[in-house]
Amino acid sequence: MDGINLNALSENATRLGMRIQETIAEHTRDLSLTRGGSSLFDMADDKAKDITKQLESSSDREKLDAMKRLIALISKNRPVSSYFPAVVKNVASPNLELRKLVYIYLLRCAPSEPDLALLSINTFQRDLADSSPLIRAMALRVLSGIRVPTVATIVLMAVRKSAADPSPYVRKAAALAVMKVYKLDQAHHTTLLDIMTTLLRDRSPLSLGTAVLALDTIAPSRLDLLHVHFRRLCRALPDIDAWGQVDVLRVLVRYARTMLPKPVPASERQEEEVDKDLKLLLTCAEPLFMNKNPAVVLAVARAFYYLAPPSMLSKIGAPLLRLLSVSREVERVALAYLLVVARSHPALFITSHNRLLVRADDAEQVKRIKISVLLALCTVDNHQTLLREFVDYAQDTDDSVVGDAIHAIGRIASLVPSSTPQCLTALMGMINSKQDTIVSNAVLVLKSLVQNQLLTPSSTSTTTFATSLSSQQALLTPSIPSLTPSISTSLSAAPLSIISPPESTSVAQAPLSIIAQLARRIDDIRHPHARACVLWLVGQYGSVPGTGTVVEGVADWAPDVLRKAARSFNTEASLVKLQTLTLAAKLVLLAPTHRTLLLLAQHVLTLARYDEDWDVRDRARMLRALLIGAVAGVMGNNDDEGIGGNWNKEEQSGRPGVVLRREQVTRVLFEGKTGTIEEELVADARPLGTLSLVMESESLHLHDGDNDETVIDLPEWLEQGIDPVLRDSDDDAPQAALSSMVQAISSQGISSQRVPTPAGSTPVVLTPAGGSTPKDTKDWRDLNKFYASESESEEEEGEEEEEGSGTDENGGDSGEDEDTSEDEGDEDDEEGVAEHNSSLSHERTP
Amino acid sequence: MAIDGLIILDPAGRPIIQSSYTTYPAAYPLLHIEALNNALAKAPREGSVDPVIYVGELSCSSACCHVEVGGMRFVATISGDADPLIAFAFLDAFTEILQDYFGVVSVATLKDNFDIVYQLLEETLDSSGHPLTTSPNALSDIVLSPSLISKLLASVSPATPGVPSARQGGSFGSNGASGAFTSPIPWRKAGVRHNHNEILFDVVEEMRGIVGKNGTTLVSNVFGKIESNAKLSGTPDLTLTFTNPNVLTECAFHPCVRLQKWIRDNALSFVPPEGRFILADYQYKPPQSALVSNVPIPLSLKANMDMGEFGGTFALTLTSRLIKVMENLELKFYLGEDATSAQCTLSSAGSSVGSVGSADGSWSFNSRTKTLRWEILNMRSSGSWILRGSWTSKIKAPRPAHAFQISFEIPSYSFSSLKVDQLRLSSETYKMYKGVRMRSKGSIEWRW
Repeated sequence: MDGINLNALSENATRLGMRIQETIAEHTRDLSLTRGGSSLFDMADDKAKDITKQLESSSDREKLDAMKRLIALISKNRPVSSYFPAVVKNVASPNLELRKLVYIYLLRCAPSEPDLALLSINTFQRDLADSSPLIRAMALRVLSGIRVPTVATIVLMAVRKSAADPSPYVRKAAALAVMKVYKLDQAHHTTLLDIMTTLLRDRSPLSLGTAVLALDTIAPSRLDLLHVHFRRLCRALPDIDAWGQVDVLRVLVRYARTMLPKPVPASERQEEEVDKDLKLLLTCAEPLFMNKNPAVVLAVARAFYYLAPPSMLSKIGAPLLRLLSVSREVERVALAYLLVVARSHPALFITSHNRLLVRADDAEQVKRIKISVLLALCTVDNHQTLLREFVDYAQDTDDSVVGDAIHAIGRIASLVPSSTPQCLTALMGMINSKQDTIVSNAVLVLKSLVQNQLLTPSSTSTTTFATSLSSQQALLTPSIPSLTPSISTSLSAAPLSIISPPESTSVAQAPLSIIAQLARRIDDIRHPHARACVLWLVGQYGSVPGTGTVVEGVADWAPDVLRKAARSFNTEASLVKLQTLTLAAKLVLLAPTHRTLLLLAQHVLTLARYDEDWDVRDRARMLRALLIGAVAGVMGNNDDEGIGGNWNKEEQSGRPGVVLRREQVTRVLFEGKTGTIEEELVADARPLGTLSLVMESESLHLHDGDNDETVIDLPEWLEQGIDPVLRDSDDDAPQAALSSMVQAISSQGISSQRVPTPAGSTPVVLTPAGGSTPKDTKDWRDLNKFYASESESEEEEGEEEEEGSGTDENGGDSGEDEDTSEDEGDEDDEEGVAEHNSSLSHERTP
Repeated sequence: MAIDGLIILDPAGRPIIQSSYTTYPAAYPLLHIEALNNALAKAPREGSVDPVIYVGELSCSSACCHVEVGGMRFVATISGDADPLIAFAFLDAFTEILQDYFGVVSVATLKDNFDIVYQLLEETLDSSGHPLTTSPNALSDIVLSPSLISKLLASVSPATPGVPSARQGGSFGSNGASGAFTSPIPWRKAGVRHNHNEILFDVVEEMRGIVGKNGTTLVSNVFGKIESNAKLSGTPDLTLTFTNPNVLTECAFHPCVRLQKWIRDNALSFVPPEGRFILADYQYKPPQSALVSNVPIPLSLKANMDMGEFGGTFALTLTSRLIKVMENLELKFYLGEDATSAQCTLSSAGSSVGSVGSADGSWSFNSRTKTLRWEILNMRSSGSWILRGSWTSKIKAPRPAHAFQISFEIPSYSFSSLKVDQLRLSSETYKMYKGVRMRSKGSIEWRW
């Protein structure tokens, strides 16, 4: 016996061993099959022909493998529609994994194979009645995603059925499907609106967000449908998922703008007046500032920015600043929005301007927006700090940032006039930089600053010029008598020519000495724009009455600039050539008798005459004609060397006889220059939360159509809101007492009293997970009574609730379809949760 | 007005995963990929590409929002006047989900599991362009994680190798379907069971600051994160309280946290999701915050810079101001586009440790990013570290960044000294293991 037993045992052992070996082999094959994904992914294309065979095989594993290969092909943009028939056969596979891959395939390929796609529709219709909400939702998503116009009616029926589904996930899918059917065939609009009214009545915050989104998509103008839901939507806000919160807030902002009265800001006579529904919206939205999702934070900020009365606006400052520390990408976008807010309400950010300082490792765009924000926050108190920052940023490694920083310094000078001397000193320091970008930008800014200062002597410039002004009149008269009348009238106080006051302290800031320094550095200023600026400045302000040591009437430094410019004339940019011509004309006009200047001017004009740029040629011709009377007259007998030169001989005969006198030419050349205003171009602020705002620099490219869209998205306030009675609904509180209680619930958070509700902070419950139903549902249709009994039960049950009062969770929900079997996993759940869930959920009509 | 789709590009800029753009012209995703690759190629230095790139070639206004993840680029394309923030929030959520599923997000893991990535994409982003289910707990019921799939196949298949059976397929089909969508709490799975219940909190604080040329702190803020890893059975209702909640400001919470309770009691009351999640973000508010709320920076840098023609020399001295040891200290110095090479010598002047000469650190110059890196693995509280060197440049007036970027880590330390008072569990009766760890890091810009 023992022997036999032993034999049998050993036999069994070997069998077992073999079996184990098989199993191990099997296991490893499984592993390589399922997770050797990258080999599938990078598979050679010629292996693709096996796919059809695999799909028709009887093994699920083979089929899965084939589907994965197909998806890999899709991923590589290879044509896969030839496999359609083979794939469609698997659409009803009991294997969920396989089916999901088939769904993905169908969604991608159905539009190109509408006829074959129709074959699969029956299966999906059957799946809509599946016991699992996952399969029901998926079937609906695929059905609506097939986008074959002929099936629109079938999909519509499916949507209608799903809109009444007991699972909020399926109802959510239904809301999404509504949008897709609408896009597919707009003829079903009325039916869809009908479905929408069902969906909007939804009690579960899971599907509510999508329902609002769907309404917004298919009927953006039908905000009136939201009247009865408005208050409930506000209160449900905290429980809706993040993406839904964004959508709902957007719609509610629009609703408030169109339907609610505009808040009246507090004035001397009356207190701030805010509609109570608006207040409800804002109080319910405010806690969402603490959401982790940056899009939600922005949506709330947007609501406050566009709706809140001034007293509540301060709440958006800190949350917007918080977004800056979320990630680099979020920082970039949030900054664009923050800039808009900072420009209109700088007070919100002034105290925290140091959060906005530029870091050297920020992205270029971020640096530039930060500079704009800092400028918007510039005040008399912080301009010193900001100026120091901007001087630092001028050393940045990005050229555009350098430019922005230096221009910002110029802006500080005009925003805070008392800082002008400091700004000028800083800019003059930059002139000596070795970096071209810094020098040329500094020159550009200096030019406009100096020009503005000379044109409009503000409080600061008068202090610098105070001494010179009095002497100026006296000096002007003897030197160029003919000029005096025009100058003294048109420029009354503004000096055409000033001797910079000799005080050593203000030398650096005196405009004329700045021009002198620029003139001396002309060789180092290489950027065409900057060079042109210096040439213009030298010409415009280069007249010194009488005292010129080199040339009578011209500042010492001016002629040399012309000499240098003339020498390099041929290699300059057109922009610089034009200004060289102007400079030559102006100098020769100031000192018509100076021979060297005349020769220089003649030289330049001759060069320009044969220039390849016709603007330059035209300018030369124009200036020549202009000067002919003023300068040639002085030269008289010396035609060959005079400004007229050969040109005179050639063309004098055919020219009409208008010759300007010298005073007239002076007027033409020197006067009527308006100061440049370094205003920042603030684009018409587009609404927060839009791409066009973020891409402001490129918003020119954005199409006009988008404008209309944004207008629709953010309408102006109406004169008066609509009658608030319209917002009363059966589930809302008609009496004042109750409405105050509703407020209390939403702002105080009922969840804190009802510990076991994991939902968060409102009475609206997350899902109707089945569960016990109160005997009489009619009682609960009145929210009044509902809240009353709710608070009672809270007091009575309190903490005991979580111990669970043994509610029967599997009992069908009276208000819902009975055949749901989604209760399998529910036993483990907190009883308290289920109970609360049920108390609201049954209200939906089947 | 929504997210049109998502594209994942490998480090070479080729698409690996791409959502379906069936309603768009075929060139649509390609134009976006091209626009992004062009922008990346043009970028003068790392991180200087605008995260939102406008794509103008199309008939509608459209842009691509991109993030770098594990060397790859995740691109969300948006059209109409959609908010790019939604795209970034979605990309962030999607990355988090991938991390949850695969642990590491890399080209290899995505290629290995591309079918799962596609399933996830399908579930997280509806074809209408609106994010769908993004909570990892809810997703794990719908899309099986790779480990779970192989487990299922392994346990079921060998019994009847090669022979497919409807019953078998059905069994795990229903396994997958029954759990899904049944949890009453969107962020938590229903019916979780653990033999060993534990919840761990990692408090990670990061200091971000800027020090001006004269050595004064222009700004320094500390941002904190409470990362949690929960393995708890059933539906645990937790209440976390701090002894000094007043150091927290500008908080942001995971959706599970009851906001009203926080506003009222400064206590975090929540039913956690399973697995890893970030419970809260906050900013540290120094208690004496009167006007200047700068947190002291735990190190100091002395820089002697000398810029010459075609290059320059520098001498940097780093000193710690902290009693704790700082780890992985790294100083980065961008030498400008035209920099060609750098040469440095290291020394340290330890006063008490006496390790003079033994250079406890290393330096390197990356000729692609034009950045000089100086690393000190362990920086003790006393002594100072010195880096002397020079660099060369192609242009006469070199143009280096006028700031050093310093980053460091301090293990088991927190700037805010936030302290957990207690963690109470209600609604479940088991005992759980609780753990709190602190960690700090910093990233300081030091200008010169």
